[in-house]
Amino acid sequence: MKRWGIAQLLLTTGLSIALWLVAAIACTCVGSTGIHWPAPGQWSYRLEPVILSSLVGAALAAAGVVYQAILRNPLADPYLLGVSTGASLAGYLWKLQFIATLLGALGLGAAAVSQQLFAFAGALASVAIVLALSSRRGRLEPLTLLLVGVIVNAVNAAIFLLISTISRDLTAVPTFLIGGIQTNLSNQQIASAAVAIAIGWILLMWIAGHLNTAILSEGEAQSLGVRIHRLRWTAMVVASLITASAVAISGPIGFVGLVCPHLARLVVGSDHRRLLPISTALGAALLAIADAASRLMIGSAQTWLPVGVLTALLGGPFFLALLWQNRRRMALAEGLS
Amino acid sequence: MTLLSANQLCFSYGRRPALDQVNITLSAGEVVALIGPNGSGKSTLIKLLLGHLSGSGQIHWNDQPLQRWSRRELAKLVAYLPQSPQTDVDQRVVDVLRLGRAPYLGPFGLESERDLRIVRQVSQTLGLDELLNRGIDELSGGQRQSIFVGRCLAQEPKAMLLDEPNTFLDLAHQMDLFKLLHRLSKEQSMAVLVASHDLNLAAAFADRLVLISQGRIISSGPPDQVLDPKILSDTYQIPIERIDRPGKPPLVFPRFDD
Repeated sequence: MKRWGIAQLLLTTGLSIALWLVAAIACTCVGSTGIHWPAPGQWSYRLEPVILSSLVGAALAAAGVVYQAILRNPLADPYLLGVSTGASLAGYLWKLQFIATLLGALGLGAAAVSQQLFAFAGALASVAIVLALSSRRGRLEPLTLLLVGVIVNAVNAAIFLLISTISRDLTAVPTFLIGGIQTNLSNQQIASAAVAIAIGWILLMWIAGHLNTAILSEGEAQSLGVRIHRLRWTAMVVASLITASAVAISGPIGFVGLVCPHLARLVVGSDHRRLLPISTALGAALLAIADAASRLMIGSAQTWLPVGVLTALLGGPFFLALLWQNRRRMALAEGLS
Repeated sequence: MTLLSANQLCFSYGRRPALDQVNITLSAGEVVALIGPNGSGKSTLIKLLLGHLSGSGQIHWNDQPLQRWSRRELAKLVAYLPQSPQTDVDQRVVDVLRLGRAPYLGPFGLESERDLRIVRQVSQTLGLDELLNRGIDELSGGQRQSIFVGRCLAQEPKAMLLDEPNTFLDLAHQMDLFKLLHRLSKEQSMAVLVASHDLNLAAAFADRLVLISQGRIISSGPPDQVLDPKILSDTYQIPIERIDRPGKPPLVFPRFDD
């Protein structure tokens, strides 16, 4: 039994960073022309997709850990809950001329309302709709939650396609539908996403010890000294913030937030103080690797394979396996109670 | 020393009254058993005393009104074991015990040396050392209940409120649990309030019984006084017989031959 003190916290965070660094360095060696150590002039454009995919993967995996804990549902994921498409749709709306005009009329310039803030509002709106429609007498029903998430995703996608068709702008369609790492972002966009994700992650680590009580009933959590409603709302808002920050730069990439927490659980168990940093590192590493693989698969062809294609191809079967296993878990949990 | 004093407690679920003018006290080193039919208000009373439900009346823990206790400070004074404790099936026994230290954790969930020392002490007290690294889903119902009691003890509480903790246990494990609660109350001056449907078990181990029906306290006092066949027959709506035993609490049981 090891004490979770400062040393353990720093060691776990350090190991997580080291795990990500190994994967990130390997990924900088992957380009559309093959695998080799980057030449001096290649570093900047090799590093950018690795940093961006790591940032997005880290955010989605951390949010996945939190959603699974506070919703007490191992199948929860920012994409499956509709959070990602909500953020992505709002992020797209922000770019439209009539929204800019509307914001101007309200006295809010584009500088005041950033794309991240807009995406955050979209993420919160989606999660609020999903939670409102899937709870009965204050209790969330896991299956209904996922079904409502699917419907919200479909409606968000339909609204997006309608607007993009009317405005004759179909360039963003692949990114919206499946998500991918783009390298045409401004430094300001990248920096604001990185800052929001970093602050959000530190806040989540701050409450990670109490997230362990989120799996209990409300009465039990309260009796352990945790203000469970405040904890759930704080965690929900912060997880939605970092999801929105990631999705604003990548579109909705599925299954990273589902798969990584489960892989991390196999390594470090269910204590959220260890689970959160390890899952975050796994998310950063896996998405960087998936993005590098997608670059390698395309080769020198003048096209682009969104990384969301790979994560969906790998994550879809994983989700089905998890759904199957979850039936056993639920039966066990019922047996325990 | 009176740890809990509650007066004139009233609570309703919508328009349906669940508790009406209930008064109850709990002192250090005392085991009090709440008995009564299903739906009589036992669980509601426990939740009200913990502040999980809010009704009318006054509740004082250590002479301080419930409203003035922070959740964290109250958790250091009172532990609660619900009827069906919940857990993650991936958790090990030691993880469940460590959850009991939640009221003492620092930011980032940091633990002190004392936190681990208390968890080890609890594990020794309950004889759980061999089980610490076992998965919670590998254990029997009796073992699991001991572990949830251990989670409560890790809070280092002065009082424990248990809601029908023997519901899913066989006779031997029910006996073990009540013996443990009795031992804790006497050795550690713990105040124990336990709701139970087993009148004889409650009478064997409790210092006082509180009989509650339709949200009102019908009778309260030593087992010998509360286990009155006429009052019990009226309360449970079945004929109940009593056998008196010199120097021991009486036994009561339903009359089957009618």
